[in-house]
Amino acid sequence: MTSGIRFDGVTVTYGGNTVLDSLDLTVEPGEVMALLGPSGSGKTTALRAVAGFVRPASGRVFIGDRDVTALPPYERGIGMVVQQYALFPHLRVEDNVAFGLKARKVPKGEIPGRVADALEMTGMAAYARRHPRELSGGQQQRVAIARALAIRPNVLLLDEPLSALDAQLRSGMLAELARLHRELPDVSILYVTHDQVEALTLADRIAVMDRARLQDCGTPQDLYRRPRTEFTASFVGNANLLPVTVGEKGAAFEGVTLDVPVSGAAPGSTATLCVRPHLVGLGPGPNALSGRIGEVQWRGSTHRLYVEVGGHRVKADVRELRETPALGTEVTVHFAPEDAVLLAQGVGDG
Amino acid sequence: MLVHSRTGRWTAWSLFAVLFVPLFALPLLVILAASFSTHWSGAFPSGPTTAHYTAAVRGESLQALTTSLVTAVTASVVALTVGTWAALAAAALGRKGKRVLDALFMLPVAVPSVVVGLAVLVAFSQPPVLLNGTRWIVIIAHTVLVTAFAHQSVSAALRRLDPMYEQAAASLGARPSYVLLRVKLPLLLPSLTAAAGLCFALSMGELSATVMLYPPDWTPLPVLVFTATDRGSLFTGSALAVVLMTATLLVLLAVSRIRTKASYR
Amino acid sequence: MASPGTGLLERRRAPGAVPTRSDPADRVPATVWPWALPPVAVLAVVFLYPLALVVRESLAPGAYAEVLSSPSFRDALLTTVWLAVASTAGCLVLGFVLALVIAFVPFPGGKAVSKFIDVFLSFPSFLITLALLFLYGTVGMANGIWTDATGDPTGPFRFLGTPWGVLLAEITYFTPFVMRPLLAAFSQMETAQLEAASSLGARPSRIVRQVILPEALPALAAGGSLVLVMCLNEFGIVLFTGAKGVTTLPMLVHSKAILESDYAAACVVAVVNVALSVGLYVLYRGVSRRAGA
Repeated sequence: MTSGIRFDGVTVTYGGNTVLDSLDLTVEPGEVMALLGPSGSGKTTALRAVAGFVRPASGRVFIGDRDVTALPPYERGIGMVVQQYALFPHLRVEDNVAFGLKARKVPKGEIPGRVADALEMTGMAAYARRHPRELSGGQQQRVAIARALAIRPNVLLLDEPLSALDAQLRSGMLAELARLHRELPDVSILYVTHDQVEALTLADRIAVMDRARLQDCGTPQDLYRRPRTEFTASFVGNANLLPVTVGEKGAAFEGVTLDVPVSGAAPGSTATLCVRPHLVGLGPGPNALSGRIGEVQWRGSTHRLYVEVGGHRVKADVRELRETPALGTEVTVHFAPEDAVLLAQGVGDG
Repeated sequence: MLVHSRTGRWTAWSLFAVLFVPLFALPLLVILAASFSTHWSGAFPSGPTTAHYTAAVRGESLQALTTSLVTAVTASVVALTVGTWAALAAAALGRKGKRVLDALFMLPVAVPSVVVGLAVLVAFSQPPVLLNGTRWIVIIAHTVLVTAFAHQSVSAALRRLDPMYEQAAASLGARPSYVLLRVKLPLLLPSLTAAAGLCFALSMGELSATVMLYPPDWTPLPVLVFTATDRGSLFTGSALAVVLMTATLLVLLAVSRIRTKASYR
Repeated sequence: MASPGTGLLERRRAPGAVPTRSDPADRVPATVWPWALPPVAVLAVVFLYPLALVVRESLAPGAYAEVLSSPSFRDALLTTVWLAVASTAGCLVLGFVLALVIAFVPFPGGKAVSKFIDVFLSFPSFLITLALLFLYGTVGMANGIWTDATGDPTGPFRFLGTPWGVLLAEITYFTPFVMRPLLAAFSQMETAQLEAASSLGARPSRIVRQVILPEALPALAAGGSLVLVMCLNEFGIVLFTGAKGVTTLPMLVHSKAILESDYAAACVVAVVNVALSVGLYVLYRGVSRRAGA
């Protein structure tokens, strides 16, 4: 059996509402694919369609080269970890991990070894005799992962696995998941999250979802540096989105002609210019924009300035200033031409 | 806190005591006191005795107690099995099927117990099944009366059972039958024992249908309490009532201990 | 009989035990419905078939006309309905006041009182009548105190054999059935809301009327309609009073069938009783479902 997941035009409807709209997506064998999007974007539905808990209205789901669309969940051979862990409260840790092996009638002699391996891998070997209620949230999550890995799935589905943990534990577990993936290079992982940091850190590729549709898909660097839609630009990294009119060379924003790459966009058309706030600098330079400071937020190592240019607010993250500037101060900000991306109107739902 | 002034609080508490003590606490105390007495003329009972209890654990009374216990246990076990089965089946059905099944199993709650007694009497006094005059007719009526409560408790527990456990088990490769035995039933165990306790208590105190049906050799305790009271032996009746309450409470207590052990969280 | 879902020893819902998602697209395999057959078959044999026989028996020629026109039936119907309505009203008022104190004017031992109420629910109803015989019977406590104090040969309390005695017993026995859902509803009420209201200077009576009562309405409606149905069906309390003057529909069923062996008449009364209670019970289910009970 090969690993990998393929969505082939998968549509899911709930009582007349389309919650997943003809999704086409392929997760390569051994790849970590993050499904990133706000709540209600359809990302969890997509994962549950792979698990077999929702039935697509149309389209097919493949695990490896096997069409699993009509298979019940227990015949799909997947490992799944959900936000609330779903450990069986009446079973000890070792019995939780052994559950899938017993259910699949793995020979009795093999079970203890595989349970021990899975617990070892997640660092929970010392807790085998405990009940789930005696474990912390992070420990329960490790057991849930061990339980999913014990059946040696080709595909691992992770549904917001870190959302129930506090920030510090979360970054630890993130590193842990990355390590696990290095140890299990053949397992495909579908990772559902609303947290861009998790997606950027862990994923080989990110599929950005919004309003039941796939908006964008690419490597983290790709999506971050060259977003194709306004939604991606704002959801991943909270970019400045400036409405511009495309000219022959550059684009006009609030009467200022900016030197930005415009290849492919028709002169005279309107478009959106995407610039990351941390790439906007204070002071004169190329592509300078002048305005008043509308709001300032001190964020420790940086200051976030909201500069009012015409009717728009340009966000600039600058290295911490010695003195917090007063509101209303006239300032100039600038950005390098190569740091801007022009998004043509009509791409995605922009 | 709703009332902040001291006097206000004391007013509320006195009102509570004035209503609660005579209405709820006093009746049980009175029965307890009467069961140890031979006379009640004047404000308080008199002639302390334990003779009623000596009589209550012997002969006819003892037989009535065992009759009640056997009836209650049998009815509870059958009701729990049927009710749980129906609740599980209903939960697996679609919305419409579940509605129909739930309604069917709720119906005995709304039908007066006397009518259940009458119906069972009418049905099993004629062919094909003749049970009139046997203990089975009493047990059947009790089972009908408590099945609805078992069904209702178990369906409520099933509704509260998070589907994520079932789904986690399915994702690990467990077939529905395996999920039922290894995940659902163990997780429902606390609710099942609670339902068993409820059924048992209801059956122990059942009088309305029983008086329509009981044969002379299968007289449950409540009927005996009634016949004693009816012929004017109020003190004997009280002692029997206390035995009834104690037996019920002891079983409920035992059940709740099992529950504490069975609840995992 | 006692309460549906009394849940005598029912544990409070564990936090997080609420179903997190329900998938409308959940699978319902077609092989499931045969599993519903065995319990339905059992129910059909021991309950539905007997009930159908009762309906058939009631259709004996002339049975309805005879029963419906008899004054004893009309009396019983009237008595049953007014007793049930009055008991329910009494239970609602009493239950609301008692639950209010337990929930919002907490006192040491309040938990024990709630436990006591749970235990109370597990006892059969006729115990209350038995107790009332000792309290208000001709030689009971109340009359004893009176005769001791005044020297009169008999006391003034002789309402036990009247509908008022039944009313008192029913209010006593069924009030806990109103308190249970109320206490559950009160425990879910935000104390912040009460604190906000009282910090705005609202007096307790105003808070009760404008904040607590509206929140309690669904629980009151659910508890009230349940008690109404149970009062319509109550038999033990009436039987134990031994009052010749109080005949309710269940009493009439019993006396027609067992004392007079007039099964056709008993079945007619039973059908009327069932129609009345099932109608109300359907209403109760509707109300309690809306109340989320």
